[in-house]
Amino acid sequence: MPIQFENVSHVYSAGTPYQYQALKGINLKIAEGKMTAVIGETGSGKSTLVQHLNALLLPDEGKIRILDRVIVAGEKPKKLKSLRGKVGLVFQFPEYQLFEETVIKDVAFGPKNFGVSEQEAVLKAKQALHLVGLGEEFFEKSPLELSGGQKRRVAIAGILAMDPKVLVLDEPTAGLDPAGTKMMMRLFERLNKEMHKTVLIVTHDMEQVFAYCDDVVIVADGKIRMHGPAKKFFEDSRLCKEMNILPPALIRTRDALNQNGFEIPSDIADIHALAKEIRKQVKRHG
Amino acid sequence: MGNFTLGRYMPLDSPIHKMDPRMKIIAMLLMLISIFINAGWIGYGIIFVVMSCVIMTAKLSFRFIWKAMKPMLFMLCFLLVINALVVTTGVPLFTIGSFTLYSGAVMQTLYIAVRLLLMIMITTCLTATTKPMDMTLGIEDLLGPLKKIGVPAHEIAMLISIALRFIPDLIDETQRIMKAQQSRGVDMQEGTIKEKVGAILSLIVPLFVSAFQRAEDLANAMEARGYAPGEPRTRYRTLKFHARDYILLGGSLCILVTMIGVSILL
Ligand SMILES: Nc1ncnc2c1ncn2[C@@H]1O[C@H](COP(=O)(O)OP(=O)(O)OP(=O)(O)O)[C@@H](O)[C@H]1O
Ligand SMILES: [Mg+2]
Repeated sequence: MPIQFENVSHVYSAGTPYQYQALKGINLKIAEGKMTAVIGETGSGKSTLVQHLNALLLPDEGKIRILDRVIVAGEKPKKLKSLRGKVGLVFQFPEYQLFEETVIKDVAFGPKNFGVSEQEAVLKAKQALHLVGLGEEFFEKSPLELSGGQKRRVAIAGILAMDPKVLVLDEPTAGLDPAGTKMMMRLFERLNKEMHKTVLIVTHDMEQVFAYCDDVVIVADGKIRMHGPAKKFFEDSRLCKEMNILPPALIRTRDALNQNGFEIPSDIADIHALAKEIRKQVKRHG
Repeated sequence: MGNFTLGRYMPLDSPIHKMDPRMKIIAMLLMLISIFINAGWIGYGIIFVVMSCVIMTAKLSFRFIWKAMKPMLFMLCFLLVINALVVTTGVPLFTIGSFTLYSGAVMQTLYIAVRLLLMIMITTCLTATTKPMDMTLGIEDLLGPLKKIGVPAHEIAMLISIALRFIPDLIDETQRIMKAQQSRGVDMQEGTIKEKVGAILSLIVPLFVSAFQRAEDLANAMEARGYAPGEPRTRYRTLKFHARDYILLGGSLCILVTMIGVSILL
């Protein structure tokens, strides 16, 4: 069990008029090797939640288990660096963290901090940049002269180069073009399925949740509203409505077809399969 | 550091919040002058008690003041070290090897610490109870008479209020970047000197980049809404003195006179 929250609360700016309780008694278990989506409205507490995973924020109440560490409210944890090497967190707008003169140096910064030798760090940086789709021609550029989307990729590569066991991504595809988004999501899926990393991804895009994630966690007003398998959640149209979430287009199309006399089974997973199924049923009735 | 409170406005409802910003600025200046009149511990005691009352009236907590003071502690420690090496007045407290600590060194540091504390109490009472917008109006009006001799009062006021307005933002930004770099294994507390320099660089460079970005965005946003420095501007709000403002002025004048009195008598 790599990640477990027990009754975790977090209060920002305690004791001032700006005081705000962003997390209210969170209980959550995230199984190893899963790809989990964290969804919820703006301001519901998703970013606050994920920043607890590598102890950037500490709980004001409750207990968090992450890999072999236990973080208890009120105790000052030591040696957080090793935890941060194992739980890689990509921030909501990570492009602001770039600072080295060249892209390759910036990506190598993470591994070097964790005691990897200069050469090996550069090697890891090259691999990571390759993974996020940035070729050789970018290596020696200054991060400041890249476009927003390219900066985003460099920042993600900076975390991937650390080769963390758990990968946490806070809205990693916000602002990327559709092709870039798809490529990133495929990459995260590969890291999860092939390299067996536990992946947590904060997103507002239900299509992504449906297409790539095993589980879904819904955060609302600092509490966990729901946690369960993503496919099963989207199948349950009443639950979706209750949670105020619009299911992905495929499910909506299927439901509309079924309401109009088709009998599309629920194991149809993409539009091609759906198209074939429609053709089959039309022919049968034809 | 979301806890960093120096210069931050606190939206509360108190008599101090309602006071006229011009008078609050004048009162602050009078109080600051009072601190620099050498009225000894009695004088500082009086100012401390008065400011404590003001802080309570403004519904600010003492923790808030303490947090604003905290970043200064490092400076004070540094000062103590220097004083300890330089000052040789008063009675010797203890001796280690060839080094002797004198009570004068401790007293002098304590003196500065108390002045600093009082200064922070006074300025916080202004910045925490006055909206940045009101502060601009106040400064501009106070500098108004100087416009005749060519002082760009409005621009100065705008400059000051933008600077004040951005302090908390820059602090939040610093904190965000710090978190991002900590996620990449930067250790702000432990590490060798070389690592520490690296850590600071990884913080400063992105901070500057984003500060310039912000400045540009703000300038564009202001221009897009037709702001031009030097052009005459109408005002949505005009300031007016009330009875409470005169009480504030009278009170701070009293303190100043008391300080002068105490310093002469002692
Ligand atoms: N440093 C802070 N100080 C005070 N309040 C904060 C701070 N950071 C966040 N909050 C508040 O906590 C709440 C949760 O913020 P959080 O960033 O976790 O939301 P989110 O779910 O990630 O939203 P989004 O989808 O917009 O990224 C918000 O209401 C926000 O105003
Ligand atoms: Mg967020």
